[in-house]
Amino acid sequence: MSLKKSISSLKLPHYKSTAGMAAVRMPIPKEVLIPLSPMNAHHATMSEPIVQVGDHVTVGQMIAREKDRGASHIHASVSGTVTGIEPYAMGNASGTAIRIESDGKMEKCPDLKIPQPANLDEFLQCVRDSGVVGLGGAAYPVWAKLSAAQKGHISTVLINGAECEPFITADHRVMLEHGDLIQKGIELLKQFLGSEEFIIGIEENKPDAIAQLTERFKDDPAVKIMPLSSVYPQGAKQVLLYNATGKVVEKGQRLASLGVIIINVSSLVKMAEYFVTGMPMVERIITVDGSAVKEPKNLIVPIGVSVRDVVEACGGLKEEPGKILFGGAMMGKPQESLDAHIMKATNAVVIMNRKEALKTEPSPCIHCGRCVAVCPLGLNPTAFARAMELEDPAAKAALLQKEQVKVCMQCGCCSYVCPAHRPLAENNNAGIGFLRKWEKEHPEGGK
Amino acid sequence: MEQLMMSSGPHIHSKDNSRRIMLDVILALLPAAIAGVVIFGVKETLPILLTCVIAAVLSEFLFNLITKKKQTVGDLSAVVTGLLLALNLSTNVLWWQAALGSVFAIVLVKCLFGGIGRNFANPAITARIFLLMAFTSKVAGGVLPDGTTGATPLDLIGTGAQLPTLLEMFLGQRGGAIGETCILALLLGFAYLLIRKVIRWEIPVIFMGTVFVLSLLFSGFSFETALYELLSGGLVLGAVFMATDYTTTPITLRARMWFALGCGLITFVIRWFCALPEGVSYSILCMNILSPWLEKWTRRKPLGGV
Ligand code: SF4
Ligand code: SF4
Repeated sequence: MSLKKSISSLKLPHYKSTAGMAAVRMPIPKEVLIPLSPMNAHHATMSEPIVQVGDHVTVGQMIAREKDRGASHIHASVSGTVTGIEPYAMGNASGTAIRIESDGKMEKCPDLKIPQPANLDEFLQCVRDSGVVGLGGAAYPVWAKLSAAQKGHISTVLINGAECEPFITADHRVMLEHGDLIQKGIELLKQFLGSEEFIIGIEENKPDAIAQLTERFKDDPAVKIMPLSSVYPQGAKQVLLYNATGKVVEKGQRLASLGVIIINVSSLVKMAEYFVTGMPMVERIITVDGSAVKEPKNLIVPIGVSVRDVVEACGGLKEEPGKILFGGAMMGKPQESLDAHIMKATNAVVIMNRKEALKTEPSPCIHCGRCVAVCPLGLNPTAFARAMELEDPAAKAALLQKEQVKVCMQCGCCSYVCPAHRPLAENNNAGIGFLRKWEKEHPEGGK
Repeated sequence: MEQLMMSSGPHIHSKDNSRRIMLDVILALLPAAIAGVVIFGVKETLPILLTCVIAAVLSEFLFNLITKKKQTVGDLSAVVTGLLLALNLSTNVLWWQAALGSVFAIVLVKCLFGGIGRNFANPAITARIFLLMAFTSKVAGGVLPDGTTGATPLDLIGTGAQLPTLLEMFLGQRGGAIGETCILALLLGFAYLLIRKVIRWEIPVIFMGTVFVLSLLFSGFSFETALYELLSGGLVLGAVFMATDYTTTPITLRARMWFALGCGLITFVIRWFCALPEGVSYSILCMNILSPWLEKWTRRKPLGGV
């Protein structure tokens, strides 16, 4: 029993009916369209194509090279012919994607070798070559995260297996099916980062994963399996860090300066896989679920496959779709159509029927305080709402700054509980956007 | 395929809504209202209850109509205000005085400040105080259950006169406002609100606890006096139903607990040291005004912020 203050959180319905379904490989698609970014974000970081239309490519062959630290190398996920290098909408930003027509052979790239790094620098280079990014959604390249070890000692590696989002069970399956790769990943980090402590945080709603991993690591004192209560957002960086270690990343501080890194369990496994097979990141496990999907499943899919093909592999739709999400029911990103494509950081496709997708009209705030009580970070969403109603941009920015809107992690708990159905998280997001822009235009602080 | 929804997360929502919360408050007030009708008589109480509720709803409806605002009576908060006001009045009040109170509460205290969620003072309490000042004895003067005008127990404490027994106090066989006397009924409502998670226990318990403990101390540890203080006046009604009003209390639980403590303190001071027999309404109004400051003083740094 610890006396530390507990973080507010939310008990959500889990909708994790796919947890018992082993991941199955989907049929080879006719075509993939691989976005040159690990996920669709407002600031999509792109990679540069290094193939041309008409080129023949094989599975694992690099087809685009990272342009900056935020991007990653992109590899062909099917063998076949490059049929297009075309513009691709990524959320609010526009990007590029490479279209490959599959020859149905899934021919492996002959140049792939099992990497044999000798030191930290070589190890990081290998991880960089693997193209693995944060698969829990953040999509930050794993090598860049691990490179913190070049600047200072990383004593603790926090492995995130919380998977608190409703619907998603992809990480759960990874933990059940790839214990060996988790072990391999931990060994690599022990060897090259020299970390002494490995904490695998898993929500209690996955007792089988907890039991299996506890058994696997029972003779390794460096590895601790930590059961966490099944509340949302248990897997969020600050929340997980605090609940697992009691530490907090203060403002202006970086996680690594505490000697800690957090890595999603699926990212760790993908990274380890590269050191076993030499195959870079070309596929991943995703959960396909939601009221409109006929046969919800955990699927192994090539990166760049269309939602249409994914749905096909799940028996098609049983109802008219109302909303298509990449990710879970809380923070998932809505997609415009079935022609969206799976990216590296897409952990789930949730398709809701029309009825579920409808939102209730917001009514006036009744000042009940539930949004404040539930916020894991102790923010006051009603203050952000008040700020966004202000006319004067300077006053608006000042109030947003004072109430620290930028701390908000968009977890959505506040919107979920609001009895007036106010779009609080959305408003917070708008507030963050406004404040970023305003601060850029007023570098002196505008006081 | 029709257009897909592109609204951002979260994509699921709890089942709660504002109207359901207001409905819960109304349901929680029903035992007290029924007890009031039984104790003080149907003919004496029902017209007041109906007048207050109808006047409250009607004035909100008309206010929205005249100012061309979106109609809000559907959220049922005007019903809550009207009902609460009625329960805070004695059967001595005339129907037009009760109606005036409702109009005052809804138009001046609530709607002019922007409607639900925006007013700083509790409408029912402010209206009660307004009526007290305008028509003093009619509103506040206790009516005994037999219909004769008489002193409330709070007037009697310290005079040596015959007090109702503690059991009579608990069941509501004493003078006072329609909804404040039957403690049993109020506690039923309290329990219902807790079960429905509409309010938290902290505010009523701290409020009533503060009055109880202070009375105990200042009476030289007379449990009887402290219990009388606890059961008399509008303490339980105020603590359970008015000091827990969402809009006019601070938004954080921490500040709300200080709010409750302040209410308890002021109530006690008014009752013990001032000439006024009752302090619950004044204390809540005072703390309503202090709410924004309580929020400010008790603010904590967000996780990962400053
Ligand atoms: S979205 Fe932001 S303000 Fe809302 S609960 Fe999450 S962190 Fe708090
Ligand atoms: S939860 Fe909704 S109604 Fe309650 S205070 Fe927050 S914004 Fe207002």
